[in-house]
Amino acid sequence: MKDQVTVVGKRQRRTDSLSKVTGQALYTADLKLPRMLHAKVLRSPHPHARILNIDAGKALRLPGVKAVVTSADGHGVKWGVFKYTQDHPMIAGDKVRYVGEDVAGVAAIDEETALEALDLIEVEYEPLPAVFDPQEAMAEGAPLIHEDYPRNINIHVHIEVGDVEEAFAKAHLVREDTFNAAGEAYSTLEPYAVVADFRNGYLDLWMPNASPHVRAKALSNLLKLPLNRVRVRHINVGGHFGSRSEVSPGDFVTSLLALKTGRPVRLSLTREENATCTRQVHPMKATIKTGVSKDGTITAKKFKVVYDGGAYSSTGPIATSIPYYVYEEAYRLPNVTYDGYRVITNKGIRGMYGCHGRGFLGGNEMQLDMIARDLGMDPMEIRLKNGLTPGEQTATGSVIKSGGLAEPIRKAAEAADWNGGKSGSPLGTSQGMGCVAIMCGFPMGFRSGSSCYVKINDDGQVTLVSGVVDTGMGNESMMVQIAAEVLGVPIEDINLVNADTEITNLDPGAYSQSAAFVGGNAVKNACEDAKNQILEFAAAKLNYPAEDLDLKDRMVISKTDPEKKMPMRWVVREAFFQGRPIAGTGAFMPKIDFQREWVKKPYGQMAGTFSYGCSVAEVSVDPETGLVTVPRFTTAHDCGYPINPMAVEGQMEGSVQQAGMAVLMEETRWSEGHLLNPDLLEYKMPLACDMPEIESIIVRSEDPEGPFGAKEGGLTTRMNAHSAIACAVHTALGVPLNELPLTPDRVLKAIDAAKKGDGK
Amino acid sequence: MEKIHVTLTVNGDRIEADVPQFQTLLEMLRDTLELTGTKEGCGQGACGSCTVLLNGRPARSCILLAAEADGADVVTIEGLAEGERLHPLQESFMDKGAVQCGFCTPGMILTAKGLLDRNQNPSKTEIITSVSSNLCRCTGYKKIIEAVEATAAPSDAT
Repeated sequence: MKDQVTVVGKRQRRTDSLSKVTGQALYTADLKLPRMLHAKVLRSPHPHARILNIDAGKALRLPGVKAVVTSADGHGVKWGVFKYTQDHPMIAGDKVRYVGEDVAGVAAIDEETALEALDLIEVEYEPLPAVFDPQEAMAEGAPLIHEDYPRNINIHVHIEVGDVEEAFAKAHLVREDTFNAAGEAYSTLEPYAVVADFRNGYLDLWMPNASPHVRAKALSNLLKLPLNRVRVRHINVGGHFGSRSEVSPGDFVTSLLALKTGRPVRLSLTREENATCTRQVHPMKATIKTGVSKDGTITAKKFKVVYDGGAYSSTGPIATSIPYYVYEEAYRLPNVTYDGYRVITNKGIRGMYGCHGRGFLGGNEMQLDMIARDLGMDPMEIRLKNGLTPGEQTATGSVIKSGGLAEPIRKAAEAADWNGGKSGSPLGTSQGMGCVAIMCGFPMGFRSGSSCYVKINDDGQVTLVSGVVDTGMGNESMMVQIAAEVLGVPIEDINLVNADTEITNLDPGAYSQSAAFVGGNAVKNACEDAKNQILEFAAAKLNYPAEDLDLKDRMVISKTDPEKKMPMRWVVREAFFQGRPIAGTGAFMPKIDFQREWVKKPYGQMAGTFSYGCSVAEVSVDPETGLVTVPRFTTAHDCGYPINPMAVEGQMEGSVQQAGMAVLMEETRWSEGHLLNPDLLEYKMPLACDMPEIESIIVRSEDPEGPFGAKEGGLTTRMNAHSAIACAVHTALGVPLNELPLTPDRVLKAIDAAKKGDGK
Repeated sequence: MEKIHVTLTVNGDRIEADVPQFQTLLEMLRDTLELTGTKEGCGQGACGSCTVLLNGRPARSCILLAAEADGADVVTIEGLAEGERLHPLQESFMDKGAVQCGFCTPGMILTAKGLLDRNQNPSKTEIITSVSSNLCRCTGYKKIIEAVEATAAPSDAT
């Protein structure tokens, strides 16, 4: 059947690209509604303080100001992904816990007036001792940021499989290293914005989001409005990468202002606010102890990872676990102990990141290279030896359904002319390899499956209704391709209505690799339902068995006698006249272990399937300046089946930039709870001139459950590109690199430390 | 606030307006003329999302005052197509998959147009140098460079 596909598997122009190249695509800050007011938020200047009093009297008397909201306007509901992480009030009540926290919101006739009003709001603070470093926050006697997290430990994930100590005792070689990684900034090009409009008892909302349904649910709880009265609308999203997954304080503040004024309100954050007051990435410190047998088989792993969690739980246990899981999904770990601690500090709120875990993942891979070198092994061979294969289980009991690590490794190595991991002279080129596996179709304990409706209009044109959201990666186009393939119509016949909670049914959202595997399956199932209805009608009309009929080129056509055919629209019209219009429904939920829980029971089938990937970076390092350049980067990703190969490549290439090149330059810098580089001049991101020659290799494993065999499009590169570059630099220099990112100063420090004999 | 009388051409239309003295060209385009295809990414001239063509040269409208554009010929992304016919760069950005979230796309296309209008036959290095004035967070730039290369005039065999 795969041989006969005409729409999927082909390089397709994305359906959303026309509006984007002509400037017609609307993003939230482009929206202008009649009588719309403009909002600004008063933010905490303190990292930790008690709020004694807020007086908005003067602000309210300023002409043009329509409303001021504070926590008193809310319902005292706190947000968190899970019941045990609900600690974030969204507007500060009794205390502020980070610089930039939302304290009050103003709606006025224009932004200038709203800004002026902020200066007139009088807030009386009692500054409290603050703590910024997770190690200090965990110490006895440290200031307590939330009452109910002793030693500021927000989440402790403990995983134990086998007998680690016994395995270490028997191991041929044991190494322990500690790696530190600074946090990155998501730096979506679109700064955060929200438009809220409350009329007739219904709240309409637009904001860059990665799951309208998850967002609407959170806001329904926070605002105490029924779910069908909170309508998160479709809008283009200017990048996501994890930053738009969860509800944002701006959503709540803007909603309160719309409720209070009865007028539409728009909040547009500045670039600096976007960096400091929406979500950020977790810095981390990972201590990794590994035991291997003589032949390089990993026999034991012991991990202690401390995540700097910022002021609130946010994605709490998820962020505390994911780096470990994407590692255990790649490699066989017979004995393992993982202790992940997420620690609350007086810094901004954090979330998941597409490249989350570079300290842990890069650390593991660099350490594996050191072990391989000690054993006289090729770093590729040690990865192949320990890589999981289909049918095996991960340490915590997820069965691998398709793929496996071997093929991406071999394909990447072949294309990159893998040199066996030989240590080059720094200025020559050296190679490094990074591997990872990623969960696809992964409900995470709070997300739904996806469902889809499809109706065939009486001219044969198709309306497809799906909750799948597109934050830039091409999900909308992918859904249209799948529907066009099943229904035998060209792409232009399909009108996709998506990501609008008034109309669409539940969908998990565009994060954690659900769009292709979950949303795509729901679309495919709905279209197959509609197709079966059409074929049933046609069979009666053509007096032919339905099994012998198919849909192709807008026609119902016999598989055995191509002369036997009729236009699909005739069948559809007939169905309308008979009072049975063609309307298909479909849903999909991955087969997982519903008892599995992040903290209480981290064992059992975690996701529907897993994708595999390997990247090989080629670097050269100037030992005088510490500057690393990357002339060439090869990455192989097992996406199952590429619905649109061009879009899959795009994800891989973007990942080389955002994870790979970032490991050389990207970091958020802090002082006393203040983010020092919140703008795009000080926060360095890769430009076109920084990029290597990229070769993207699509590996097909044809997942048995994925739509047309598809899993996900490119996340393994996002989770291993940092490792590949770090390993290559490590190979070039032959000295331990324990601090990421590998900025020139850190590279020089590592070289100096090795000279002084600090390293091993 | 003091206002300044300006006359300029935007996408071929003659515009006369009294603009507040501190209004940026970006604000004038987006708020007054409702040409929202020009995006604000940073407000400090760092990212290039607000790039327009000012007398044929790429310019960052977020750090340019509307008053400074007095007498200028401004082209925004909305002014690129001729009727139904798209500019070749718009076609090749779609064909090559150079568009992801789309937020940088208008600025990127106008930067590339600025280059190709000056130099119909740029080398790959010249293309990379040119688009390095704009940030993209999604694509890794590879397909953007390919799209510009595909639009450039066929190069001499070099």
